[in-house]
Amino acid sequence: MFIEEEVEGSNLYSRVRDAIREGFYLFGMVGSDERELGRGFAIRYFFMKKGSVRVFILRTEDKFPSIVSLCPSSKNYEKEIRDMFGLLPEGHPDSRRLMLYPENWNPAIHPLRKDYKGEKPEFKVYGRYTYKKVMGDGVNEILVGPIHAGIIEPGHFRFSLAGEAILQLEIRHFWKHRGIEKLCEGKDPKQVLKIVNRISGDNAVNISIAYLNAVEPLLGLEPSERVKVIRSILGELERVWNHVRDIGWLFMDIAFPLVAQHLFSLQEKLMRFNKSLTGHRFMFDVCELGTVKVDFNRDRERDLIDLLEVIEEEIRQVEEFALETPSVRDRFETTGRVFKNTAMELSLCGVCARASGLERDTRVELPYLAYKDVNLHTFEEGDVMARFLVRTREIYESIRLIKLFLKNLPEQTEKANKMQKPEPYSWNIGNAETPRGNAFFFVMFDKDGKIYRLKYVDPSFRNWPAIQYAVLGDIIADFPLVNKSMNLSYAGNDL
Amino acid sequence: MLFLMKRAFRLKTEEIMPEHKELLYELREAIDKVFGGSLFVREVDTGSCNACEVEVANLNNPYYDIERFGIKFVASPKHADVLLITGCVTRNMLVPMIKAYENAPNPKFIVTLGDCTKDCSYFKDSYAVEGPVEKHIPVHLHIPGCPPEPRHIIEGFLKLCNRWER
Ligand code: SF4
Repeated sequence: MFIEEEVEGSNLYSRVRDAIREGFYLFGMVGSDERELGRGFAIRYFFMKKGSVRVFILRTEDKFPSIVSLCPSSKNYEKEIRDMFGLLPEGHPDSRRLMLYPENWNPAIHPLRKDYKGEKPEFKVYGRYTYKKVMGDGVNEILVGPIHAGIIEPGHFRFSLAGEAILQLEIRHFWKHRGIEKLCEGKDPKQVLKIVNRISGDNAVNISIAYLNAVEPLLGLEPSERVKVIRSILGELERVWNHVRDIGWLFMDIAFPLVAQHLFSLQEKLMRFNKSLTGHRFMFDVCELGTVKVDFNRDRERDLIDLLEVIEEEIRQVEEFALETPSVRDRFETTGRVFKNTAMELSLCGVCARASGLERDTRVELPYLAYKDVNLHTFEEGDVMARFLVRTREIYESIRLIKLFLKNLPEQTEKANKMQKPEPYSWNIGNAETPRGNAFFFVMFDKDGKIYRLKYVDPSFRNWPAIQYAVLGDIIADFPLVNKSMNLSYAGNDL
Repeated sequence: MLFLMKRAFRLKTEEIMPEHKELLYELREAIDKVFGGSLFVREVDTGSCNACEVEVANLNNPYYDIERFGIKFVASPKHADVLLITGCVTRNMLVPMIKAYENAPNPKFIVTLGDCTKDCSYFKDSYAVEGPVEKHIPVHLHIPGCPPEPRHIIEGFLKLCNRWER
């Protein structure tokens, strides 16, 4: 499925440039400490173009050339590799730390190095993070967070304003950094699946599908056709309840709480259905290695279809209401725009990418499970309205897919095959389209069949920088709306 | 618009937690009696997976509408009677959590929500985790679950009232 190529520091730049010219875009950068294997540190660059993946592998001992000037989306990946492995991206424009805070972490300690055994440095201030400063007459700053006013996750936002218009937004994340990647090392793939479900709780099903797409082939597991279809149904069900909720929040922020609450009650209905189907409102732990914990029968199929028909009917009315109501259009249209070239440079994915005219969806680019012929809905405007419409259209599409899957649900045939020990130090990648966008896993096993290195890239990790562009020139009262229209995850981003 | 009005009102009267009616009335009585009618809660996420937050937010949907009983989620710890804490307390969130605790006026109650807060659950051995919560601040009540469902959270509030009374 993918083409691997070893590159040197000296030709990395030209290889990346060629790939971008051919239409590839960066969707993951993975560092790993392979010194024990006599291969130094490896940095793998994953580029994707519909249907194919190209991997560049760079080996180094201490530093690597930054490609930020060529490929701005590599910015945070390179910072992450610097924090976690202590490798220096030469020519990187930003020398500040990313997830390990100088306010509490000794900058000389790099947790993803294999010789780091987990001892924590003393909890004290080692340095300070410096924020960017906007200067000039009449410029004022508004600081928000890390603890926000609503019931949401922590993150720090700094707005610099000139009058009402936002001149600059600087976001500092990783408050919730839980060290998940290191935590997975040395564990067996089954234990890790539990953690994977808890990376970003509301996307648990699709994230675990991405993980299973990576590990199952290495373990010699091939889920049956029925299991594949059921997993796809659950993934789409997750997309529906996420989108219904996200649309609800949009109406909350523009003073239409009645519409919002109506959507929240639909969300509750869906979550109760999740519970009746899988025993869990978020469907945690429903996918297992080689199989899936639930099955469908006539009654369940009927219940699900009935519920989805109600949802579709209601969402169509909400969409019509939004398009017919001038004050909704006034708030949604031209607000929080992300232009197509920005979306391209930042390698956006998911709803944000499609609302800005990029045809990116893992279900189409690298089809997996039972997906084929998924219809993509893209818009050129890149504003809140476009993201709203992408969501409504995707709800209809997911419902269409679920009905189709249920209609063609294959019989359970062969028993799930037996798990084999993976080849020592073999690796694979796995992708899936979560409601927020592409989830990417890199998994490498050690010689005992335990996880040697696991890297996860959350769609929100790619999309957060886009907010900093989307709000420019908007008024601060529009920020919550722009933020909710993307509804990015902090937990998945911070990891 | 009318289509929504009709539906929303039907929900309120017919579909609200039919199986937990008793529990809800008990909660209202308890809050009236113990807290003089209202309980202000500040939610603090110290490193959750966000599922706990989603369930807390769901308490405000038309099925539960927890404000009916006087429970209101407030914007600042300075307004709060209760800090409702989720997550495994990451190293980066330790200081903000303690600041929130210090800024809540006395008397205050600390309620931890979800398995992460009790023993850090799956994140126990991480270099980036400093939990559990009770290592740093006193905890009065724990609501177990991964995540606890809305009805468990409501039950938790009821327990809190009973303890406070004693
Ligand atoms: S207790 Fe469970 S649901 Fe809650 S934050 Fe922790 S992992 Fe997520």
